[in-house]
Amino acid sequence: MVTKRLLISLATSMMLALSVTSVAQNTETTDAAADSRSEFRSLDEDVQDLKKEVLDLNRDLFLLEEELLFPANSQVAFFISMDVGEYFEIDSVNLKIDGKEVANYLYTEREAGALVRGGVHRVHMANLKTGDHELIAVFTGSGPHTRDYRRGATMTFNKGIGAKYMELEITDRVKKQQPEFVIKEWE
Amino acid sequence: MLRCRSIIVVLSLFFIAAGPPAQAAKDGPDPIVVKDPLYGEVLFYFYQEDYFPAIVRLLAAQNKWFADEQSEPLDRFEYAEQAELLLGGLFLSYGHHLEAAGIFERLLADNVDKEIRDRTWFFLAKIWLQRGYLDEAQTALSNLSEDLPVNLWREAQMLQSQVYIDSGQYDRAIELLQNWKGKTEWASYAKFNLGVAMVRSGRVSAAADILDELGDLDPFNEELTSLRDKANLALGYSLLQDGQPLAAKAPLQRVRLEGPFSNKALLGVGWADAEVENYRRALVPWMELRGRDLLDSAVQESMLAIPYALAKLDSISQAADHYLNAIEAFYEETNRIDRTIGFIESGDIFDEFLSDDPLDSTGWYWRLEELPQGPEARYLYHLLATHEFQEGLKNYRDLNYLQNNLDQWRQNIDVYRNMLETRLEAYAERLPQVEDTLARADLDGMVDRKLEFDSLLNDIEQSNDWLALASKHEFEMWGEITGLENTPALSADIPEADEVRDKILLLKGVLQWELERDFKDRLWRIRRDVRKTGEALVETQRSRRQIDDTMRNEPLRFDEISARVYGLGPRIEGIKNRVDVAKSEQRAFLQAIALGELQAQKQRLDVYAVQARFALAAIYDIAATVGDASE
Repeated sequence: MVTKRLLISLATSMMLALSVTSVAQNTETTDAAADSRSEFRSLDEDVQDLKKEVLDLNRDLFLLEEELLFPANSQVAFFISMDVGEYFEIDSVNLKIDGKEVANYLYTEREAGALVRGGVHRVHMANLKTGDHELIAVFTGSGPHTRDYRRGATMTFNKGIGAKYMELEITDRVKKQQPEFVIKEWE
Repeated sequence: MLRCRSIIVVLSLFFIAAGPPAQAAKDGPDPIVVKDPLYGEVLFYFYQEDYFPAIVRLLAAQNKWFADEQSEPLDRFEYAEQAELLLGGLFLSYGHHLEAAGIFERLLADNVDKEIRDRTWFFLAKIWLQRGYLDEAQTALSNLSEDLPVNLWREAQMLQSQVYIDSGQYDRAIELLQNWKGKTEWASYAKFNLGVAMVRSGRVSAAADILDELGDLDPFNEELTSLRDKANLALGYSLLQDGQPLAAKAPLQRVRLEGPFSNKALLGVGWADAEVENYRRALVPWMELRGRDLLDSAVQESMLAIPYALAKLDSISQAADHYLNAIEAFYEETNRIDRTIGFIESGDIFDEFLSDDPLDSTGWYWRLEELPQGPEARYLYHLLATHEFQEGLKNYRDLNYLQNNLDQWRQNIDVYRNMLETRLEAYAERLPQVEDTLARADLDGMVDRKLEFDSLLNDIEQSNDWLALASKHEFEMWGEITGLENTPALSADIPEADEVRDKILLLKGVLQWELERDFKDRLWRIRRDVRKTGEALVETQRSRRQIDDTMRNEPLRFDEISARVYGLGPRIEGIKNRVDVAKSEQRAFLQAIALGELQAQKQRLDVYAVQARFALAAIYDIAATVGDASE
């Protein structure tokens, strides 16, 4: 017949399972647990090393890709940023350079949130000849009182020798309670 | 020149709350005014919790900032530190804890506000404890100052007690927890940990008092209710084991009827009654367990306990039926476990775990909350609650991400190789044509001619040579008129000749007057055109110098980029192979945990099945003996 040994074994296992806290749950102090922890640590250290190597590799590849595809002499990067963002909620941006459409970017909620919190999005990279170029940016989204809003900003900029960054900034014009679209140049 | 003025501000974001960044940002400071697009781009990914691309962009931006020759060395030094701190924060969010700690150890000493420093060490201690780095966790806890906010200080004390317990220093844990002050929920956790440390150090009776006190608390949230259940269960079983079944019933009955510990409590209550031979009462909680999930060991054990009680109550036939049911149920369950073991051994199960993960979240905060649907998953549910499994799965997910990332780069690098070769071919093809065109373009000759022209214009101006600036038509007219002047017929002394001579003189005078009148204007226009030509020549010379530079540098640039493109290929392959190996090892580790769990379940079922068969045989023996006796 079933003996009470079962009960004792279960009770013992319950006592072992006692080692619980709110911050770290069950951890057995048996040798097996120590071995397992040491094995986990050894694997974790390998993963940490690999992460570092892959990150360094990605950095080198990222720089190489940029140099190869967009050499510094002809490189122009276009960024979108928002300052405050009370009066405008971005949906998309459309960029034209010298009359030619080069980017049409639709923002996810997560990306739009990142912009509002201070992130800057690199929306387009281009190779342009030295000289004057015309940039037209059209922003669509929700304006004040959640109305559909579509506004453009135009600028002629000069591309010299060396990389150039153009920042398309959406700011709040508090007096008019309207968004304002400004294009800034970075050399 | 680029600038990263606001980096230091963002570091505080990582540690505003000891929770995920989303929460941190919610409680955090106002949005940051970004002064540099590259820095802002890092934040763009950070705010989306895409830590891997954020780190890559920061590493790349660091390269650019420090290569910027226009910046002052002092500025570069300052930016280096600020960018490093930001990097440390990103590493921490990404779970790259050893690198993060290296940075913080170097830079946190005196550059950062004490509160941020404390929060950083606190966070590291938490990660390290979860990952089993007990020495490192201890070091991080030792680095905390006494100014830590009170809520974090309590949690830090709890982490400290856990480090002591995990490293077998029970007396130190007891000393720390016995002096716990305050009446928040942390006090309850502290009490529980104290009980754990006491049981582990062999002071069971002292532990029982603490668990009894804890088991009687009035919980105000689910976590505390669960803690209370756990304490009651542990105490109940401890008393049962100590031969005090009646005393055990009270704590066991304090456990909720529906909850993670209810099955074991019901089983225990039944055993407490069975111990005093009240089998009829014992059947009540055990029968309740019959309809519950067979995966639970308490439910499995109840399938043996019920016929045991029935047999004791002389319901032999019913007991035999229950044993037969139990044997059948254990057999089926064992088969299901075997199938699950096969599935886990194939390794596919862990990829299924990640299949719903979009892989755009690379943070340390990630947890697998739910297992995928399927018969296999039900055996592994409680593994989700263990740090070992969760952290192992996190590493597996990270390795999977690295593998995909390297695969993507492997494809890209092939494209770059092709691109480079095409560019080299195009360059080699165009170079002779360009060289030929350049050889034919005598720029120096053009410059000489321009200078000669300047000199000629000077002479024309000085000598007021208005005829020199006549148009072709005017010059021809002038020639024609002077030609007519010399016609012999005009020298005749006749009135007609006088008349023609007068007309010629008039025409000549008009033309000269017009040429003299326009002389300055023409001279200005010609000088303007010559100046423009000179400017164009200077521009052409500049372009020529650029072309010469490019022709000189382009082969070197090609060589340099080729070396990088061709060098990165094998580097990708090398790391990819190591990632593959590490992923296999990580999978094997997870498999071992999962299989260990399943094997334990299977062994328990085997033991129960043997017990059931043994009991059934005993019943048949008794029945046969009774039959023989009656014959």
